[in-house]
Amino acid sequence: MMKSVLALLSAAAVLAVGAAHAEGNKMDEVLKRGKLVVGTGSTNAPWHFKDQSGQLVGFDVDVAKIIAKALFEDAEKVEFVNQSSDSRIPNLTTNKVDITCQFMTVTGGRAQQVDFTIPYYREGVGLLLLANGKYKSYDDLKKAGSGVVVSVLQNVYAEEMVKKALPQAKVDQYDSVDLIYQALNSNRADAAATDQSALRWFMQQNPGRYLDAGYGWNPQTYACAVKKGEQSWLNFVNTALHEAMTGVEFDAYAASFKKWFGVDLPQPQIGFPVEYK
Amino acid sequence: MGYQLNFDAVWRNFDLLLSGLGLGLALAVVSIFLGSLIGLVAAFAMVSKNRLWRGLAVGYVTAIRNTPILVLIFFTFFALPQFGVRFDKIESFVFTLTVYAGAYLTEVFRGGLMALPRGLREAGLALGMTEWRANLWVVIPVMIRNVLPALSNNFISLFKDTSLAAAIAVPELTFYARQINVNTFRVIETWMVASLMYVAACYLIAAALRRLERRLAIPR
Repeated sequence: MMKSVLALLSAAAVLAVGAAHAEGNKMDEVLKRGKLVVGTGSTNAPWHFKDQSGQLVGFDVDVAKIIAKALFEDAEKVEFVNQSSDSRIPNLTTNKVDITCQFMTVTGGRAQQVDFTIPYYREGVGLLLLANGKYKSYDDLKKAGSGVVVSVLQNVYAEEMVKKALPQAKVDQYDSVDLIYQALNSNRADAAATDQSALRWFMQQNPGRYLDAGYGWNPQTYACAVKKGEQSWLNFVNTALHEAMTGVEFDAYAASFKKWFGVDLPQPQIGFPVEYK
Repeated sequence: MGYQLNFDAVWRNFDLLLSGLGLGLALAVVSIFLGSLIGLVAAFAMVSKNRLWRGLAVGYVTAIRNTPILVLIFFTFFALPQFGVRFDKIESFVFTLTVYAGAYLTEVFRGGLMALPRGLREAGLALGMTEWRANLWVVIPVMIRNVLPALSNNFISLFKDTSLAAAIAVPELTFYARQINVNTFRVIETWMVASLMYVAACYLIAAALRRLERRLAIPR
């Protein structure tokens, strides 16, 4: 009995190895196909959303184009597959997409199911203030103690999250994002706590109306993900992303960063590689 | 391999749900009481001979009854402060629900007034009562007794409307149920318990009003 189970297992192992070989290298497959298939969403500015002309745009989209540029010397050779957040992992494991770039937070649990690339953004929470409001900075808010009301999206431990930054503040939780901004606009809240990327995008859209309180916390790393076990494909994507943030494609990355987050990135230091700083 | 129900997270937070239910009931009681007063006044205005009063009452009922209550809640909470009228979130919700209840109860009371025989008010006047007293001591008590079944319907519906206060961060039952959902992902269990709490509360309201109906009924 034991023997036959072992035999079956080893047969399965041989088959699995064979299958992996037969699949070949993902990079070759993509190159042969002539376009990169990227999974992302379409409803979250500034990450991936439709602009006024119906084009899919955003920071995730630009990152995908940077990878396409590395593959084909042509940033437009991308096919985007629209997927919801919860199909990010399944679409990779079932080979529907070559890579997923969809503001995916790196966690240990997810890293057991897919392979993450190097990070391309670090998300965190920030505080949005009215430019002509009572409080001008994080220190003002902190000094005001329990007199401050902060609006936040109703989410996992949202109250605890706000209290990490402002332990005494009153927290009002709303169940949609537009309401947290509306609460700020109508002075129902003194500050709105939201992802820094959303905060910067919102400030870009409404120049002069808002201030960033200048404090960030709750770090989360965003990275693209590929199917587990595609090591050489992963290496390729990592190289493409790495050179976008430090090397030949830096201008494209920096232009996109400026466009979606309104921030000018400093040039990577020339000379000794920044990696060993 | 069906879904395994697990109510631990709900029971652990049950005190939150209870406090939410308490707040919801309090909001409803205050709003319904104040709304009934508005409703009574507006109902008399509706059946009065004075065209101005009638017009005002009809305008009020039409405007409020034909606007979704969620829109009214947002309007009071977010838009009124920009015109200088500012309540905090609980007052703001009570204000909205009162105005909303008033419009519905106006229609209930108007129906009650119109169903009364004309002779009733005249009988009061014939006894030497003033117009006011005849209304207060003769017309209103009889009218209330007649409209009680319709009233309890409205009361229950208004109590359930307190769930909408969650939209402006008022911590009532629905608000806490959502909170428990996002924190524990026990969505089915939480809504099951919250629904049962609503059912129980509505049942108690209905039972109390039915008792009142029986006590006020004309003995046969």
